Amino acid sequence: MMKYEIKKVFSRTGSKFAILLLLVVLGITCWLAAGVTYVNNSGVTETGFSAVRQLRSVKKEWAGLLDEEKIRAVIEENGRIASTPEAQSNDYRQNDIAYSWKQGFSDIRDLLNYAYADGFREYNYYKADSLTTDDAKNFYQNRIVLLQSWLDEEAKDQFSDAEKSYLLNRYEALDTPFIYDYSEGWHRLFQYSPTIIMITMLILGYLVAGVFSGEFQWKSDAVFFTSFYGRNKAVTAKIKAGFYIVTAVYWVTVFLYSCIVFLYLGIDGAGCPIQADMAGWKSFYNITLWQEYLLIVAGGYLGCLFMAFLTMLVSAKTRSTVIAVIVPFALIFLPSFIGGMEGPVISKVLGVLPDRLLQVSNALSYFELYRFGGKIVGAVPVLLIMYGILAIILLPMIYYEYSRKQIS
Amino acid sequence: MELKISLLTKDFQDTKAVNRVSCTMGNGVYGLLGINGAGKTTLMRMLCTLVRPSSGTITWDGKDIFEMGGEYRKLLGYLPQDFGYYPDFTVYDYLLYIASIKGIRPAAAKKRAETLLKQVGLSGVKNKKMKKLSGGMKRRAGIVQAMLNDPKILILDEPTAGLDPNERIRFRNLISELSQDRLVLLSTHIVSDVEYIANEILLMKEGSITLADTPENIISSMPERAWSLLVPRAEMGHYLKNYKVSNVKTVPQGVRMRILSEKRPNADAILEEAALEDVFLYYFGEKEGAGDDEI
Ligand SMILES: Nc1ncnc2c1ncn2[C@@H]1O[C@H](COP(=O)(O)OP(=O)(O)OP(=O)(O)O)[C@@H](O)[C@H]1O
Ligand SMILES: [Mg+2]
Repeated sequence: MMKYEIKKVFSRTGSKFAILLLLVVLGITCWLAAGVTYVNNSGVTETGFSAVRQLRSVKKEWAGLLDEEKIRAVIEENGRIASTPEAQSNDYRQNDIAYSWKQGFSDIRDLLNYAYADGFREYNYYKADSLTTDDAKNFYQNRIVLLQSWLDEEAKDQFSDAEKSYLLNRYEALDTPFIYDYSEGWHRLFQYSPTIIMITMLILGYLVAGVFSGEFQWKSDAVFFTSFYGRNKAVTAKIKAGFYIVTAVYWVTVFLYSCIVFLYLGIDGAGCPIQADMAGWKSFYNITLWQEYLLIVAGGYLGCLFMAFLTMLVSAKTRSTVIAVIVPFALIFLPSFIGGMEGPVISKVLGVLPDRLLQVSNALSYFELYRFGGKIVGAVPVLLIMYGILAIILLPMIYYEYSRKQIS
Repeated sequence: MELKISLLTKDFQDTKAVNRVSCTMGNGVYGLLGINGAGKTTLMRMLCTLVRPSSGTITWDGKDIFEMGGEYRKLLGYLPQDFGYYPDFTVYDYLLYIASIKGIRPAAAKKRAETLLKQVGLSGVKNKKMKKLSGGMKRRAGIVQAMLNDPKILILDEPTAGLDPNERIRFRNLISELSQDRLVLLSTHIVSDVEYIANEILLMKEGSITLADTPENIISSMPERAWSLLVPRAEMGHYLKNYKVSNVKTVPQGVRMRILSEKRPNADAILEEAALEDVFLYYFGEKEGAGDDEI
């Protein structure tokens, strides 16, 4: 039964195009994610796999425990390069040569820009150049100090006292000094994960939109509902078909995307905390890169399931594939509509809209906090649990809706 | 084994599509005759549990069919008026899918599909896509679909609509063949479809069943008789205006008309045997379907 339901979906010409489109998008995303560049000693930018190999090898020289000594070494080396004639020159080609020497510690240099910034939300690319080796000892402490002063001043009305102390607590709980490693594979994979997951979700919405409404459009509803299983098992088979399509298409896509990116860029740095890179420096989630990966793919999967089930419910309810197809688009663009408004409530609502599930990598760096029975939690666990439950609740709703349909 | 309808009514906003219909059916072929909009489809949809009646009941061996649910659907085969299918499925896949939702095991389904396909002459196209079949072939696939579960109740809504005369004859014979040991309810507005194969004719008009009997009894119940007469072309208008005319044919000597009348319409008129079609004309006051639509 279910086999034929899946066959119904993929026998549509539109579905074949959708899968083709997904493969094209996957190809483009992988190509973008793999677009690593390396500037060689003559200041020339290289691309391709040799760039990856060279970048990896220079960054590996700085891998290891990021303690005071290493911070000092980075400040020193950065200062040394900054005072070379190449760096001081007005010729950009000379500057590029100077830059090529910095590539190995460029990630750590980015962290310095954040750690020693003039404010929590400030960023100055040249900040690192103004540091002295004496500053090295404050590296980790500064992260907390900046947060503290931001919470005391700019953001003082944005959070309750309990929330403020929760955030500080999470910051202090980070294990320091932590380990730095070359981890380009993870970061580039994370960077493009919202794109690939969102496109997959839209295509899945398109695929499952006709599962229920199709019967009415094909006028095969009469035969369907007069068959023995037409109001029970055959409806379950449709729901299962939707579930398997989402599961198979999503995981195959994620698997291909991850494999290609990791094979090309490597999985080094899996155990590093996400704070060991500028993207995760401010995050209050104390997790490692491979844990972030799990959250991203799990969030994406739940998001796709939830959207697909909602699309199927609308498809069953309205008997219209067109209206059903609109659902995932509406859910993705809804946040940009309410995003224009401001206020603490809006921000709390925005934080748990389903589009966030498709971009867990971004959600990890937002300061959205929720309170449950005196316990404060971040948006990410809320999202995972809430949409997991909602997706499950949708199932009996779809079943109830469709198994009682009358012919009109 | 008895399908009993009591005081069945279905209202749509302002129309009574089916109005207080009562009848009892057992094994045999029932021909549901009625003009467009008489309520045939609505009645059949209620019999298939697709539409809930506004009032009245339908029972199978004393049990309400809506309460029986799957148990009733197991006995049911239905070919809807606008029969839809999955355009990109092959005939064979389509049948296996329907068999699966009818709860037939794959091995049995394959055997049954092969047998039925042979019976309706579709074995040769079983691997063709549904959308590539001709109208007649689609209908036959529709019959096969309805017959897959060897239903006790077979409901066919205008199965011959849009078929050419040859296909229609084939269909009639096929339905006769399939009608053993089951209840077949067949709707049509073409009299010749059911005249010879139906054990009982149900005449439906404006939502009600006005007459239900064997074809013979229905014919003899008609007070008017059928006459054949040859008239000059100039007089044709007079007869068309004053009588129910079931046929007009131009011949070299004038026009040959077949008319319904209690009394002999003129001295030369020849009394003919009345047919079901004449009854249809008598009750509905007009003849349904154009002359070239008939066999
Ligand atoms: N879903 C509906 N909503 C409103 N009115 C309806 C609906 N279905 C049928 N009707 C009305 O009920 C009446 C009976 O329609 P039905 O389709 O049962 O007739 P029918 O005898 O099958 O006609 P046909 O020979 O054209 O198929 C018609 O007047 C029709 O307009
Ligand atoms: Mg009809």
